[in-house]
Amino acid sequence: MLIIPAIDLKGGKCVRLLRGDMAAETVYGDDPVAMGRRWVDEGAAYLHVVDLDGAVSGTPGNAAAIAALCASLPIPIEVGGGVRTAERAAALLDAGAAQVIFGTVALTAPHVVGDACRRHTGRIAVGIDARDGLVAVEGWTQTSAVTAVELARRAEQLGAARIIYTDISRDGTQQGVNVAATRAVAEAIGIPVTASGGVGSLADIEALRACEASGIDAVIIGRALYTGAVRLRDAIAAAGGAPRPVSGGRPAC
Amino acid sequence: MHEVAIIDYGMGNLRSVEKGLQRVGVAAHITRDPTRIEAAAGVVLPGVGAFGACMDNLRRFGLVSAVRRVIDGGVPFLGICLGLQLLFDESEEFGPVKGLGIFRGRCVRFRDTGEPTLRIPHMGWNRIHKRRDVPHLDGIDDGEFVYFVHSYYVVPDDPALAVTTTDYGGQFVSSIACDNVFACQFHPEKSQAVGLRILRNFGAIVAGSGAMARSSVSVSSA
Repeated sequence: MLIIPAIDLKGGKCVRLLRGDMAAETVYGDDPVAMGRRWVDEGAAYLHVVDLDGAVSGTPGNAAAIAALCASLPIPIEVGGGVRTAERAAALLDAGAAQVIFGTVALTAPHVVGDACRRHTGRIAVGIDARDGLVAVEGWTQTSAVTAVELARRAEQLGAARIIYTDISRDGTQQGVNVAATRAVAEAIGIPVTASGGVGSLADIEALRACEASGIDAVIIGRALYTGAVRLRDAIAAAGGAPRPVSGGRPAC
Repeated sequence: MHEVAIIDYGMGNLRSVEKGLQRVGVAAHITRDPTRIEAAAGVVLPGVGAFGACMDNLRRFGLVSAVRRVIDGGVPFLGICLGLQLLFDESEEFGPVKGLGIFRGRCVRFRDTGEPTLRIPHMGWNRIHKRRDVPHLDGIDDGEFVYFVHSYYVVPDDPALAVTTTDYGGQFVSSIACDNVFACQFHPEKSQAVGLRILRNFGAIVAGSGAMARSSVSVSSA
């Protein structure tokens, strides 16, 4: 299982929010590349970067920091937050992002996602962020009437390479991942799922590993790494050590 | 000045390669000037995207001769991803499309078996198995993980070219070496410490190579 540290950007700084509340931020650093280097030095094989300003406004707000991260760090980086157009996705891939994550438009303008998936096969993921099982969009400011499982199925149909599932009510709380909800999404589709939101201890990683057969092969860790509740090296070891091999290694169902 | 030229032919994210080399103390610059490429102490040919588009761009920017001359001239040469594939005779990607033909062999697509653990593109971390030792892999253990993103792989006519193989629904050649050329399917600039070590090794080869003797600048410690 791949452990993915998160770097959320707001006004060019590295922050963590509580349950996605833009007013409840903690600033952890003002040099995103230095933060990224720290995770690389501690063994990270992949990073998750979110443009929070973009997520809320729909207009990218941290393009320079994102480009610097993609150029400067010797590991693949997935980028999301306010990706609403094919042009933005292409620009991020050109800037060196390994994968680009669509959120809101997977629900509101699925043709944009479908188009991007055709153009950049394998490089497009869909982020599904849910509150009580219902998808929330626009930087989590609006809750829809669509269930996470339904959107996951649609995203798979559109050609998404992966789903990144976040439980909003757990995000930034370190109170534990919503394993059941993540597993429900994973079991409904054939593409892999990254779990996100609420990791507070190594027990969360162990709990996710136990249902890796459902399709959950990666977990994003945010706040817990920044508070020190979880050390990246320990998380990687708990997840099975070195980067998860692409082929084989999946336990039989 | 033993600088490495990273060939810019409009394909591939050159900045990551440049930053990676600089990070390990190798002076590198991005250029599409054939004169600068041919004068460099070492050359990197990156490449991301479709084989045909890469060949078209190399031709369009008048870089095919420069690449051939650099390789023929014994200058340390590193090919990455498409930079490995282009060295061969042809690719079946939207093809067959002719490559540079420096090595005999072709590029073929992974078979779409529908197997969920063998999706195409092959994208993610996978192991390299060392078939022989080359200085480029100095300090790299057998079975180390590196990062791949590709749908096609090279099938050299001469199996002895292979330096590493990787398992993805069967073993495929993940890097080759011959004289001054080393080329890998994976991205060393995105392969964490293992990748940086490969770049550092390349830098050491560049610094220690006969190419330095060609330059008019006296040797200085990097």
